[in-house]
Amino acid sequence: MKIMSGWSLIRIATILVYLFLFAPVAVVILLAFNANQFGGFPIEGFSLRWFDALWNNDAIVRAFKTSLLLGLLTSAVSTTLGTLAALAMVRYDFPGKRTISTLLVAPILIPEVVLAVALLLFLQFLSMPKSFGLLLMGHVVFTLPFVVLVVQARLVSIRRDVEEAAMSLGATPIQTFFEITLPLMLPAVMAGMLFSFTISFDDITGTLFWKPGGVETVPTQIFAMLRNSISPEINALGAVMVIFTIALPLVAASVSRVLSMRKIRASNRTNNRANNSSEQTA
Amino acid sequence: MAADIAGERRAPWVLLSPSLATVGLLLIIPMLFIVVYSFWLRTATGADQVGFYLDNWIEVLGDRFYRDILFQTFAIAFYTTVICAFVGYIPAYFVANTPMKSKAFLLLMLMLPFWISYIIRTMSWINILGTSGALNTLFLSIGIIDEPIQMLYNQTTVVLGLVHYLLPFMILNVYVSLDGIDKNLTEAAQSLGCTGWQAFREVTLPLSMPGLAAGSLLCFVLAAGTYITPIVLGGPRDAMFANLVFEAIVTQLNWPLGSALSLVLLALLGVLVVIYTRYLGVDQIAKSFK
Amino acid sequence: MDDTKRYERLLNRYRDGDISRRTFLTALGAAGVVAGVTGGPMGMLARKAHAATPEQVRFDGWGGVVSEAFEKYAFAPYTEKTGIDVVSGTFGGADEYIARVKAGQPGEFNLAHLSGVFDYARYHGLELTSELNEDNIPNLKNVIPSLIEPLRKITGGTLSAVPYDYGTTGIAYNRKYISDEEAKAKGAKLMVDEAYKGKIGGWGEWKTRIWYGALQSDQDPNNIKDIDAVWDMIRSHRDLALKYWSSGAELMSLLAEEEIYVTEGWSGRIKALQDQGHDIGYHDPAGGLGWQECIFVLRGSPMAACEELLNFMLEPEVAIAVAEGQSYPPALDPNKVELGKIIPTLPAFDPSGTLSSLSFFDPAYWNENEADWSKTFSRVQRGY
Repeated sequence: MKIMSGWSLIRIATILVYLFLFAPVAVVILLAFNANQFGGFPIEGFSLRWFDALWNNDAIVRAFKTSLLLGLLTSAVSTTLGTLAALAMVRYDFPGKRTISTLLVAPILIPEVVLAVALLLFLQFLSMPKSFGLLLMGHVVFTLPFVVLVVQARLVSIRRDVEEAAMSLGATPIQTFFEITLPLMLPAVMAGMLFSFTISFDDITGTLFWKPGGVETVPTQIFAMLRNSISPEINALGAVMVIFTIALPLVAASVSRVLSMRKIRASNRTNNRANNSSEQTA
Repeated sequence: MAADIAGERRAPWVLLSPSLATVGLLLIIPMLFIVVYSFWLRTATGADQVGFYLDNWIEVLGDRFYRDILFQTFAIAFYTTVICAFVGYIPAYFVANTPMKSKAFLLLMLMLPFWISYIIRTMSWINILGTSGALNTLFLSIGIIDEPIQMLYNQTTVVLGLVHYLLPFMILNVYVSLDGIDKNLTEAAQSLGCTGWQAFREVTLPLSMPGLAAGSLLCFVLAAGTYITPIVLGGPRDAMFANLVFEAIVTQLNWPLGSALSLVLLALLGVLVVIYTRYLGVDQIAKSFK
Repeated sequence: MDDTKRYERLLNRYRDGDISRRTFLTALGAAGVVAGVTGGPMGMLARKAHAATPEQVRFDGWGGVVSEAFEKYAFAPYTEKTGIDVVSGTFGGADEYIARVKAGQPGEFNLAHLSGVFDYARYHGLELTSELNEDNIPNLKNVIPSLIEPLRKITGGTLSAVPYDYGTTGIAYNRKYISDEEAKAKGAKLMVDEAYKGKIGGWGEWKTRIWYGALQSDQDPNNIKDIDAVWDMIRSHRDLALKYWSSGAELMSLLAEEEIYVTEGWSGRIKALQDQGHDIGYHDPAGGLGWQECIFVLRGSPMAACEELLNFMLEPEVAIAVAEGQSYPPALDPNKVELGKIIPTLPAFDPSGTLSSLSFFDPAYWNENEADWSKTFSRVQRGY
């Protein structure tokens, strides 16, 4: 009984924290439906015109696609590199480990504007032009620490003996990794992917400096609009993304629930039949 | 057997080489330029005077202004981290102990605020905390207050904005650790007569330290390096060290001074990371599992 | 260059790009980093931009309505006529852009929509100015002469940019709380009035703060005798102010949400607020602060191509569309060009085309003090 009440306190606190996190999101979504161009409460009139405007705004749609592509590539590369590095850091002992551990976190210790300028100075020195590849690798560098830290934290709690048991039963190290280690650290790998995608998707400073001509992401588009006021299509874009992120998993979950319900019902039916028949024989 | 040992010795380097190559090429070498720059001088026209001058270093290390702002920055980062740790632990615990199906959804929801661009998100606090914002309107209508309260644009709102930005990182890090804890351990502790709270304090909390430490490091470092939040949510005086770096590099085009400033910040945060790796880091925590 | 040749070159470029992209993907890891840095298809494009007969020019400017207007009215017809692509980019501010140019490579950036005379002098100091052949820009004759002259003075008679639009930074106030009479009577000192403590705003930019500090301490901003009095004024404003804003979007939301009642503001932004029904007054005090924006051509750019693009951008149709988008009047002389119905209603618009009622930053004076003042401001702002 006591534990129950503790749990419900935790549940209430969790709901409050989530509400706090969603507060600005709610504002943006409400403003996206505001008929007025300039935001503010109370909202005067409901309208879908900004969604229509968003649909027809090539620049923002293009920037959104670029951001999405950049975020996905960053999270793929960064998570791969970061997971490998974390494995090395946790599973092996080698000289210079502490230095390397600090090095891997270094990208978030430097103010981004400095890192941005530094990398451009290096390019200047090599007289290499900017490219999408550079932008991508720049994002990989400062998302790497997030992945390394979160995967490391998970890996230390995965006991080595589980892996050793698998290997003693004849599994190769590669098999062991894919069959045992990877599934166990999957939550951390997923968290790392989420981190690197969102950080890349949301990054301003580095992107401003590294983007080659003709490449714009959503944040750089917004930044360039700040002088003259941000167009409400940006709110609409935020609303669309949020609605998608909430709706997709919900739809997926309810579909899988319907499917599993059917399966359960089917298996219940066979079970019942079996039970009935066994009763009859008794 | 000999080949095995050699392989064992080589393995970590094979795993590390892609990351090290990336960090080396895109961070270490470029930062050498910054080190060199910090010894140059900015001339009156804005061009750089090449040479070996200690002026920037003398200014940065000797001037109380920078020390004060640095102290203020670390204080704000500290408050932010502590609040994130307390406020973030509970939802992480909830998510880790909730039935599997809603877990992924709850985690995904954590990242939801990030879909709204950082600037917009930060600016939207005006609609919540402003004098004609949601909170004041609510309080006025139920009669708690007679006049709108001025809540925005002080150090508290800067911390609030930072907590909002960094909380998901803390929650995810703690969650990842909590989720890895064997449930049998807490049950065993309870069956041995521990209360729920004791079991949490003796078993769960220590075992979730790796995530809490990683999350705290992330929060502190990111908070100390932020510059947009104080611009948008702070008053005229509120500034953090990264704002000075940004001003030196972008507004004043004084790259030599900006370089020296950023190296100071890097060194101080670097000390923190070294402490983390030594006392809270992976090695140390891994030992407690053996 | 005829069209078939252009097609062939484009095709080759595409093939080149495709190959290097594939190499990039196969050589992930350490090799991938190198390939990534050396550049895929984008790198090829940038290198081509350095060639004598350019296939593209790079333009950087503000986003949103401004870039949409340029895209539609200037770039599309320009590309159609000349076959030269305009690769456009955006920036969030003039300072950020100059930092990027400084860290960039010669020829990487060509044209940019920059703020006025002060920055023009800064670029000159960094040896980034070019020399325009004015014969290639016939539309230059329509530009207000008093906007061109200050630029000529800096670059010794030649031009590296053409003026494009202008505006003022005057006093904006909420008329619910502050009457027009009060605003006119108090002028710049309205912003250091104790009565509005906590409801005052200001632009957190050192030049504007010092300019208004000079006005508040009854000095000529272009010839400050007592700089300490100016710093004191900045300090009192700082202590009375709720917020230093840093962008037009922020300025608008602070005024619209009544977080602040008085601030200095950009004429075009206040106009936009008024158009949306907010009761905000706008007043240019005596010695009101005017500014101009120009389209700048950086050293190392393909000059002929840039000059032709400049001429397109100065076409009245283009300049008016941009002006209406951002609510700042174009630099075109109203005595020579018909500006339509909306432009004359914009604040700061001068029907005489002389701009004699406005004061501008004296570039020589402000550049001389820039290093010192911008640094001191950064401290004064933080309570020193």
